[in-house]
Amino acid sequence: MNRRVFLAGLGVLAACGPSRPRLNVYNWSNYIAPETIPAFEAEFGVRVRYATYESNEEMLAKVLSGNSGWDVVFPTHNRIPPMRHYGLLAPLRHAWLPNLANLDARFRSPSWDPGLEWSVPYMWNATGIAYSRGVSPAPAAWANLWDPRLKGRLTMLDDPEDVLGACLRKLALPFSSTDPDELRRAAREAIRQKPLLRAYLNAEVRDQLVAGDVLVAQMWSTTAQQAIDASPRLAFAYPAEGFPLYLDNAVILRESRRQALAHRFIDYLLRPRVSATIAETTRTATANAAAQALLPASIRDNPTLYPPPEIFQRGIWPAALPAAAQKLRDRLWTEIKAA
Amino acid sequence: MSRLRSWFLVPAWLWMGGLFAAPFAIVLAYSFLTRGAYGGLDLPWTLESYQRLADPLYLSILLRSFLMAAAATAICLVLAFPLALFISRSGRRRNLYLQLVILPFWSSFLVRLYAWLFLLRDTGLINTALQALHLIREPLPLLYNDGAVLLGLVYGYLPFMVLPIYATLERLDPALLEAAADLGARPFSALWRVTVPLSAPGIRAGVILVFIPCLGAYLTPDLLGGGRSVMIGNLVQNQFTTARDWPFGAAVSVALMAVVTLLVVLFLRRGEEAL
Repeated sequence: MNRRVFLAGLGVLAACGPSRPRLNVYNWSNYIAPETIPAFEAEFGVRVRYATYESNEEMLAKVLSGNSGWDVVFPTHNRIPPMRHYGLLAPLRHAWLPNLANLDARFRSPSWDPGLEWSVPYMWNATGIAYSRGVSPAPAAWANLWDPRLKGRLTMLDDPEDVLGACLRKLALPFSSTDPDELRRAAREAIRQKPLLRAYLNAEVRDQLVAGDVLVAQMWSTTAQQAIDASPRLAFAYPAEGFPLYLDNAVILRESRRQALAHRFIDYLLRPRVSATIAETTRTATANAAAQALLPASIRDNPTLYPPPEIFQRGIWPAALPAAAQKLRDRLWTEIKAA
Repeated sequence: MSRLRSWFLVPAWLWMGGLFAAPFAIVLAYSFLTRGAYGGLDLPWTLESYQRLADPLYLSILLRSFLMAAAATAICLVLAFPLALFISRSGRRRNLYLQLVILPFWSSFLVRLYAWLFLLRDTGLINTALQALHLIREPLPLLYNDGAVLLGLVYGYLPFMVLPIYATLERLDPALLEAAADLGARPFSALWRVTVPLSAPGIRAGVILVFIPCLGAYLTPDLLGGGRSVMIGNLVQNQFTTARDWPFGAAVSVALMAVVTLLVVLFLRRGEEAL
């Protein structure tokens, strides 16, 4: 290689190096469409480093350092108060987010961030009951998951918040209870249910529902819809006692040195067409009303992904838990698991 | 010359320092900190996490893990010794058999555990075959119980028992067995009184190599046990994820390491005395 070629090469490297800014986006896995990022890069002349995580804890463990290298992440709504408490979030400039107007009215003033000063609702999901239509009567309430006839064909999620929450609602107690007596009563319900359970399974149960090994499962609506797509024998119920709703949100980290670009990215995600493509590919409920209007009727009217208003209003937004309650819940969860 | 030799140790020191000593120091430090309001770590320094360990709930999980690991080790030993003996006496085929023992390592442990899921579940290969042969009517509950966890542990760690036992048996001088026969020992008696004692170093190494990872196992109980029963590894994992209690998770890890170190030291010392 002679010197001129080498220098020319350096020039090319320089041109696509520092002059093209890079945005770092850390999102849940399977939470975006394949074309979302390339189209953004092409339109804005930037590069995006995109990586995925499987749980809020995985993301928080990295971001808590305040020096993680990420600009935009997608915490669930009840992680937003803790992230603010630790000073991890940058305030949003609404002037840079004109597409906020596309949001569904139900998500415009949430209790955890009433003015959307820190977070932009992205996609949401609920926990309910996935079941085989052969089960009679069809489960319609958490209390139905204690039916001895389901022994060995029933699973609960491997998640203390959802399991204790279902037990608390069965007892007509608050889903996000922090009261030690109430929590102990809920744990007793869970221990009473354990002999009926096949296992505590998360997404892995999907294949076993489809295969027919499992007849009834506590399940997230998005995962349940994937199982229903694979087997029309399956259905999903939103329990009568109330059920948890989980909303994931785009936030900008305070550590980010690309605040303007991060805003541009979030505003891009709020475009109706972009958001609709994501919602259609991932088959997850979008918080964007304008995008919902663009979806094919088969998805828009899907009762599992988008429950009708009279069901949606039974939904409960799980709250961030104080340390003492979290500690007790974990001890009770270990007790349930060891029982 | 000795100067040069000490340089050869540099990679090992860097390895131990960077990948063992430093992380262990971090875990040790975490275990004395306080859980942050929403996870993470906070001051002050405290012994609280260690005090919580005395809770009978956590002791019972530790005991259960010991029993599971001990059972898995015993089963591995019973299966591995005859196999190692067979391989060491199969002449030119030895290398082929050894390759077969190592073969499972060619694919990831996670993938192989998922394969077991497909074999063991109600609509899995085993139950479907037994039903097709009319040997059973209802599928057997093969998955999500202690038996499945034990199977997974034995399956996963069997090669770690076979290889060290094979290594000692292979070096065994056949003349010793001839001498035993000349002195009137029947084959079984020669096996029990000559071969087994002489392979003790391999058995000890195998027991340690199987028992320790089984004690800390978390993937196998999680996938094959279906989260219905916890081992100590699941407890640690849960503290660092769902429970967001890093100090307690770190304290459990440190306690586990201390107990394991103690056991290994005792075990090895007894072995040396026996020689």
